[in-house]
Amino acid sequence: MSETTTQQNEPVSRGYWSDAFRRLRRRKLAMVCFIIVLIYAAMAAFVGIVETETFKKIFKLDVPIVRWNEQVGPSYQKPMAQYDFKPEQSETKVKGWSLFGTDFLGESTLRKTLYGVKTSMLVAFCASIISIGIGVPLGALAGYYRGWVDETIVWFYTTLGTIPYILLLMAFAVALRGREFFGVEIRGAPAVYLAIGLTSWVGLCRLIRGEIIKRKESEYVLAARAMGCSDFRILFSHLLPNVFHIILINFSLRFVSFIHAEVILSFLGLGENDKPSWGAMIDAARTELARDVWWEMAAATAAIFLISLALNIFSDALRDCLDPKLRID
Amino acid sequence: MTEFCLYRKAIRNITSGLQSGARVLFFSAVLLSTGVFSAGCRKQSSIDPNEPIVLQQRLRARVQTLDPMDVRDTTGTCVASDVFDTLYDYHYLRRPYEIIPMLAAAMPTISGDGKCYTIPLRRDVYFHDDACFPWGEGRLLRAEDVVYAWKRIADVKTRSVSWWILDRRIAGLDDFREYTKGCKPGEVDYDRPIEGLTAVDDYTLQIKLNRPWPQFIYWMAYIATAPVAREAVKYYGPEIGFHPVGTGAFKVDRWLSGAFVEASRNPRYYDRYPLDGEPNDIKDGFLADAGKPLPLVDKVVWRVVVEDQPRWRLFLKGLLDMVGVPKDNFGQVFTAGVKMSEEFTSRNIRMINFDEPSTFWVAFNMKDPVLGNNKPLRQAISYSIDRQKFIDIFFDGRAHEAYGFIPPVMPGYDPNIIAISNSYYDMAKARECLEEAKKIAGGEIPRMRIAIGGTDSTYRQMCQYMQRCMTAIGLDVEIDLFDWPTFLEKMRKGDMQMFIAGWTADYPDVESFMQLFYSKNIPYPNDCNYSNPRFDAIFEKISTMPDCPERTALYREAQKIINEDVPCAFAYHRVSFIMCHEWIQNVKPNSYKNEMSGWGMTKYYRIDPQKREEYKWKYR
Repeated sequence: MSETTTQQNEPVSRGYWSDAFRRLRRRKLAMVCFIIVLIYAAMAAFVGIVETETFKKIFKLDVPIVRWNEQVGPSYQKPMAQYDFKPEQSETKVKGWSLFGTDFLGESTLRKTLYGVKTSMLVAFCASIISIGIGVPLGALAGYYRGWVDETIVWFYTTLGTIPYILLLMAFAVALRGREFFGVEIRGAPAVYLAIGLTSWVGLCRLIRGEIIKRKESEYVLAARAMGCSDFRILFSHLLPNVFHIILINFSLRFVSFIHAEVILSFLGLGENDKPSWGAMIDAARTELARDVWWEMAAATAAIFLISLALNIFSDALRDCLDPKLRID
Repeated sequence: MTEFCLYRKAIRNITSGLQSGARVLFFSAVLLSTGVFSAGCRKQSSIDPNEPIVLQQRLRARVQTLDPMDVRDTTGTCVASDVFDTLYDYHYLRRPYEIIPMLAAAMPTISGDGKCYTIPLRRDVYFHDDACFPWGEGRLLRAEDVVYAWKRIADVKTRSVSWWILDRRIAGLDDFREYTKGCKPGEVDYDRPIEGLTAVDDYTLQIKLNRPWPQFIYWMAYIATAPVAREAVKYYGPEIGFHPVGTGAFKVDRWLSGAFVEASRNPRYYDRYPLDGEPNDIKDGFLADAGKPLPLVDKVVWRVVVEDQPRWRLFLKGLLDMVGVPKDNFGQVFTAGVKMSEEFTSRNIRMINFDEPSTFWVAFNMKDPVLGNNKPLRQAISYSIDRQKFIDIFFDGRAHEAYGFIPPVMPGYDPNIIAISNSYYDMAKARECLEEAKKIAGGEIPRMRIAIGGTDSTYRQMCQYMQRCMTAIGLDVEIDLFDWPTFLEKMRKGDMQMFIAGWTADYPDVESFMQLFYSKNIPYPNDCNYSNPRFDAIFEKISTMPDCPERTALYREAQKIINEDVPCAFAYHRVSFIMCHEWIQNVKPNSYKNEMSGWGMTKYYRIDPQKREEYKWKYR
């Protein structure tokens, strides 16, 4: 009886991750932001799936967002405005309205904004993966082996780091566009996320290197070494899982900056050409503001604002929950 | 000092009785009232009559070089043409356009066979004062300077972009070019005699052509052929492009690349304002300055403003004297599509519009396997483009639909061109042609690409519009936006399938357009890679023919061939709109100098600085 009581009163032992997620769940605002991020991600995935030919053939679903380039009204119609309009394939006029107004070609701003979610999320996700794919192994190798490996990698990322980021990004975007690699031409979104991914791994690499240097003399590493584990196993099975939370935090924090980078590149005309993107919408609206066409700018800005805010709040909360030093109840 | 002490004492007396908080309030009130008072008393600044009169111009891009033989863009031409004078120029006021002597003392004497030109030069033309001359004083222009400038163009080592103008034209000049290929840089002997290019004496130039070239006179009014001082080239070496020493109305004083170019009047400038012009010119005030020494302003500042909206705002603030109308501001400028809005008429801003000798089109790469052998496909694309809607969106309805390459403003334009054209909007025909094209292609047309040489929103939108037109008939088209150098490179390599391009005539002769389709000009300027022996024969024939009705008939015949073969879908002819403030006078447009921020016309502009100051004060 007394043994059972003792067991009931004992604090429940939680693992690192379950404890972190428990703390995260307690933060209401962070969870709201997480839901917003999930909605954006779901929207991106949804658009990505429904626009594939296979999906169209099997389900024969008509999703208006995919028809973003359909003319829904006359050029430059204000949000909620009613208008008479003759569709392309029709001889008769129909009445119409558009929630967020139309652009210079009479395309729906709402559809373009929603489609832009896919462009931005895809670019940010792929760029993050590339950035992690380069930054983490290089940082781990430099931190673990030190010596000439470290010196070479540090020299390399320091050199890259001295070049102003936007200029480097633009240079990569220009250099990659239209190039062929293994018979595949790099253009559109791949050119953008490659450019962002290849230029943004330095910070993460530096961070991981520092963490590995700090942890490589830890007891569990010594124990692994004593057990005869290979360097590769120590590095990738023991050390990296222990710094995974840093990668995760970094991923979420950088996601926002990658969305911004995509917007900047599209704004500068170096982004996606064929598909709608928020940057391209802002670029178009920049001059159109002079003719009082504000809705394209407003829609794209609002979309960026919402995802940036949600991701920032969520990332901060995630960092607080995952980093033992920052944990607060 | 005593006065200051008295003030201090008075203030101390007033504030001594106040608490610290009240003291702060007191000093704040004094400071505020001083500020308000001083702001209220700001006077409208009056103009000092001794102040130099400055013309405020704008440029759309930075000036890359001011070496005449290397000037390759509108921006460079604008500034260089005010700094360097050419042998001939267009009469500023007379229309139709007439070539008159500028550095030359008279029109050339041309031999009976049309091959030998003898040109007398003025004897009162000085180069700008510059450190390259002894005592820094510019010397008299000599015929040898023209010979030297043209030899520089021919010199392979200088890599001049203007060689194509003189290529195979002047007797012996091509041999000189061959000779320079064997020389080391800096070792080219510019005194080497050339049969067709000689200075008979200091003021007489003789040119012998390989074959008659009636358009030669226009090229002698082109900036690339302006004389250059040998001393300047020797003194500045490779930096000569940044140290222009010309004979023009203005001398460059300061030049901050990407920001501004500042030039002051050439005190020894020889030219005067024209004495006559068109019948309406007296009524329109263009002859108020007849006979006055040029230039009419003391200084000119070309400010580089790349973006449309800042340029427009600067104009409205009175910080630019004239400006073009950006596409998104047409609605602001005009009411009901025709009249200038109240906002602008109340500011005494006037608008000048004129047809440009330009044509823009969607070019097809004739070497492309999909497009080159499929004329119905090219026709289908051409018929699918709603040109009027394009003009409505991008030019607010202020441009002309193009049915052929000859613009309406040029002699030789055929008003009935639409009857033989494939370049008009007809969706039914487009679909019909597409079906035929599919039969030739043996199935569906593969995905195609259309490119444009610019990455900003307007270029993107233009490309998107064309894409939209083509997708409307069932074609699958992607767009490519390239920066201008990449676009040019791809054009020259023939890497693009379709691209939006255009041409503005350099001189009032349709030959300027015809060279774009001449097979020997592949890949540039014939960037469609178009080749037709019938067209080539006509081009070769007219290039040596003087202007006559037979020649005009040949132009039209050539245009018919192009319309039959559809190497491009002609889209529109541009109209220029220039907004001028009331204080700038004598602004008469020239279709062949469509960028009015210079191009040798600055010297004719008159400024009333008092009016400008009043405007700036009123709309501050």
